[in-house]
Amino acid sequence: MKKFFKYVLKYPKLILILSLIITIAFFVVMRQNTSMETDLDDYMPQDHPAFIYSNQAEEWFNIQDGIIIAIENSKGVYNQSTLEKVKSLTKKLQSMEEIDKDDVKSLYSSDNIVGTEFGLDVKPFFKKVPQNHEEMITLRNNVRDNEMVYERLVNKDETVTLIIAEIGEDTFSQELYHRLLNLVEEYENPENLYVAGRPIVEGTMAYLGPRDMQRMVPLVIIIIIIVLLLVQRSIKAAGFTLLVVFFSVIWTFGLMASLKIPIYAVSTMIPVMLIAIGVADGIHLYSHLHIFMKNNPQADRKTAVFDMLNEMWKPVVMTSVTTAVGFISLLTSEVFPIKYFGLFTAFGVLSAMLLSLLLIPAGLLTFGLPGWKIKNSNVRKNENKFLSAIAHLVIKRKYITLILTALIIGVSIYGMTNVWINSSFLDKFEKDSDIVKTDTFINKHFGGTSTLNVILDSEEPDAFKKPKILKKIDEMQADVESSLTIVGNSFSLTDYLKRMNKVMHSDSARYNVIPQNKELVAQYLLLYEMSGDPENLWEVVDYNYQKANVTFQLKSDNSIALNSSIDRIKEHLPELKKMGVSVNFAGSGYKGLVFTDLILEGQIKSILISLIIVIILLSLMFKNIKAGLIGVVPITITAMISFGVMGLLNIPLSTTTALLSSIAIGIGIDYAVHFIERYKIYATETRDPQLTGQKTMRHSGRAILFNAMVVIAGFLVLLASVFPPNRSLGALVSMNMFTSLVGTLTIMFLLLHIFNVYFKEDDK
Amino acid sequence: MKFRKIILSLIIALLSYPLATFAQVEISGFDIIQNVYNRPTGDDQKGKLTMTLINSRGDQRIREIKQYLKDFGYVEKKIMFFISPADVRNTSFMNWSYDEEGRDDDQWIYLPALKRVKRISSDSKSDYFMGSDFTYDDLGDRHPLEDKHILLRQEKLDDEDCYVVESIPKEEDYMYSRTVTWIIKDKWIGLKKEFYDEDGEHLKTLSVQNYKKIEDYWIITNSQMYNVQKEHTTNMILENLEIDTGLSDTWFTERMMKRGI
Repeated sequence: MKKFFKYVLKYPKLILILSLIITIAFFVVMRQNTSMETDLDDYMPQDHPAFIYSNQAEEWFNIQDGIIIAIENSKGVYNQSTLEKVKSLTKKLQSMEEIDKDDVKSLYSSDNIVGTEFGLDVKPFFKKVPQNHEEMITLRNNVRDNEMVYERLVNKDETVTLIIAEIGEDTFSQELYHRLLNLVEEYENPENLYVAGRPIVEGTMAYLGPRDMQRMVPLVIIIIIIVLLLVQRSIKAAGFTLLVVFFSVIWTFGLMASLKIPIYAVSTMIPVMLIAIGVADGIHLYSHLHIFMKNNPQADRKTAVFDMLNEMWKPVVMTSVTTAVGFISLLTSEVFPIKYFGLFTAFGVLSAMLLSLLLIPAGLLTFGLPGWKIKNSNVRKNENKFLSAIAHLVIKRKYITLILTALIIGVSIYGMTNVWINSSFLDKFEKDSDIVKTDTFINKHFGGTSTLNVILDSEEPDAFKKPKILKKIDEMQADVESSLTIVGNSFSLTDYLKRMNKVMHSDSARYNVIPQNKELVAQYLLLYEMSGDPENLWEVVDYNYQKANVTFQLKSDNSIALNSSIDRIKEHLPELKKMGVSVNFAGSGYKGLVFTDLILEGQIKSILISLIIVIILLSLMFKNIKAGLIGVVPITITAMISFGVMGLLNIPLSTTTALLSSIAIGIGIDYAVHFIERYKIYATETRDPQLTGQKTMRHSGRAILFNAMVVIAGFLVLLASVFPPNRSLGALVSMNMFTSLVGTLTIMFLLLHIFNVYFKEDDK
Repeated sequence: MKFRKIILSLIIALLSYPLATFAQVEISGFDIIQNVYNRPTGDDQKGKLTMTLINSRGDQRIREIKQYLKDFGYVEKKIMFFISPADVRNTSFMNWSYDEEGRDDDQWIYLPALKRVKRISSDSKSDYFMGSDFTYDDLGDRHPLEDKHILLRQEKLDDEDCYVVESIPKEEDYMYSRTVTWIIKDKWIGLKKEFYDEDGEHLKTLSVQNYKKIEDYWIITNSQMYNVQKEHTTNMILENLEIDTGLSDTWFTERMMKRGI
């Protein structure tokens, strides 16, 4: 290795130029080939049974997410201006290329099933907006009498009416989102218009998240530069430390682009990871150089650089390899973007390693050593005093350290039991943001903005014409609606049949029930097909009456709401099963729930796998199993505290927050490896545990402290972000860095000391 | 004098010849549609109608119906009984369609499970017939005066010389913005018809797959309607057709609907 460095570093300028050329090449590829992938469906493992079923069901029943437009008129919606707007907006939406004509539901486009003095009539509520008071009253009464519309499209006090436009998952775009908002704005005054629904929430998020990040990232970098300058006290050192990070980021994204792999939402976390991890190499290298120069003020440039490399290449390679392995363990995830995330972050970490070992020495050889004022340095003395004091205190008050650690672990475990998973999109927004306010407004007046589809499946054709089964479904709908406040409404074939039974018995409320026999059900359905638009039926039942779709409307899209509804529905499972009906779930909300579970499951699996691999690697590298086991202590504590704090502070686990545990591992290992490596060196050198502790603290401890300070300061900037997920990202990364730092310098150091690692063997 | 008469008639003949041929070629769109509408199909008819409904996934539903119809001149009465599927057996449907322009059909349905005859809304000529892709209008009820007809061209279709006529409804909010029909010249049978929705987009295509001469009348026996937008198909087959059997007027009453077959 020494020879290799000697050989390569004969040509420092060539190295600088070559790495610059490679970086520029990757940059060009990146500019040309990078594509973003925002379609969430692409994230989901398409061969997972839950997704296969849900996707199928969505096709069977044309289940799509709806954009909900609420039109509010405080004086009531039954006036010409408001109804004219309902009609015009419905028509405009219907004529949009992305929206199917039949998928726009409003008072204007909906059919009214009514009983006339002769029989049954299925016709629109209005074609021309009522021109006089009498017609208006008739319309109002028609709506009030129709359970299928009243409180679904018009609210109870008749001040709000809805237009729901269903839209395919792959058709929603940023552009359509803005077009819709502009269109709706034209209809304001005197009515108030609100836009909500899952596509809008997703659209807003896809728009806000990256935009906020774009604003925040430069700030993060500026802060990191400032803190780097403060701790390294050299423009050259800070410059090259950062250059390594930037180059490795460009290499990573360049490689992704040249392999034609699109950037997924999780990939935007890669720079975050690389900034947090990549600065470490530079900080440790320069820190060692600083100490060497202090001890050998007369040494020339070359000697200093080669001492740095000889002493430090091992820990740099070891930390990078273990970190990379930690990320590679994410390949066990079932979610493709996460596999890519793990793989490319690992590549980035290794690039950063290569660049630090070549670019930094080449830079030093070309541009000279940093101009540190070695001689009179009070700061430096204070630093050493502080670090020595830590080493001293930790060992002197070892019981306090141990008890405190145990206490913190205990509290974290308690917190971990409270961790909950949230697949909600809406919860990612500020409570007082427009989107949350709109959602609350619509939920207050109607059944709910989120949906859960329950798919019933029977072996037998015509099963869903049987009154026994239909009554059971009706019972289930009523039970779930009445027992959960979060469930506002439900809709299925039963609602059609009850409505028809009622109107065929001269609107008698007594007949608002499922018909008594199968023939009557079949004949009502035939009658509906003959008088109405049979297409509507195929959204609740399939052609052979073998599959049925029950839609529940929920007032929240968070996992608690979905899970409590699913649990309640499942209580009806045994009875349905007896009738030969199986139950499955579908829809984007449900898929999101399954997806989040999958990510977490994968995340926990990969944490466990990487822990084991890291223990083995460390044991091999240090040729000591004890060192391997003690080395993972900071990681474990960091991860526990991370999850514990989330549980205690009620921060739900989501796709982003779950991935942060990878940072804990990546960084925790770095600290541990640097520390143990130095500890080993000083142990053999001094054979004095006390002195070894002091010296290691002053060497690695110092660099670790600097590293943590830089990254914590950088990520704390994200607390000023307007987008809550980015805020929790900043807080959690900072916290993970801090606990890793403290864990390494206290409990890990103490354990090394207590178990006499690297001393016991010598005694033998 | 006689000579002058001959000359005169010659001149008239010569003058009128091009006019006559011109008139023969340039038959108006309206006349063509009127001829189709008025094509005699007998005074009464009975037979079995098999309707196969096929959705975009290829699922099929078959409905068998026994139907009777009689032309009373000013009104055409039709009564239908479901044979299968079993759960709707004996459900019957009666339709009276009036010649008078603008007068809505009268429609009744009898549900045996409810044991009651019900009227169905009458302003629903654009409703789909028994869940099929045919509306009542598509089944031949639409009066020629309701549309403006333009003869577009003449061309061969399935080896038949056809007129191609475009019909545009006079009514503003009608479900079709226009239709284009291929009509066999000497038989006055619509062989194919394309329907365009309110936005001018292709909605459905009707194709006649078989027609027969029964008792001197041209009768369409096999036809298919394909809804392009919904990818839904309806096949209609008429079998066991009997024409002019002298069906009694009493066949077309509510009492008959309840009696079933």
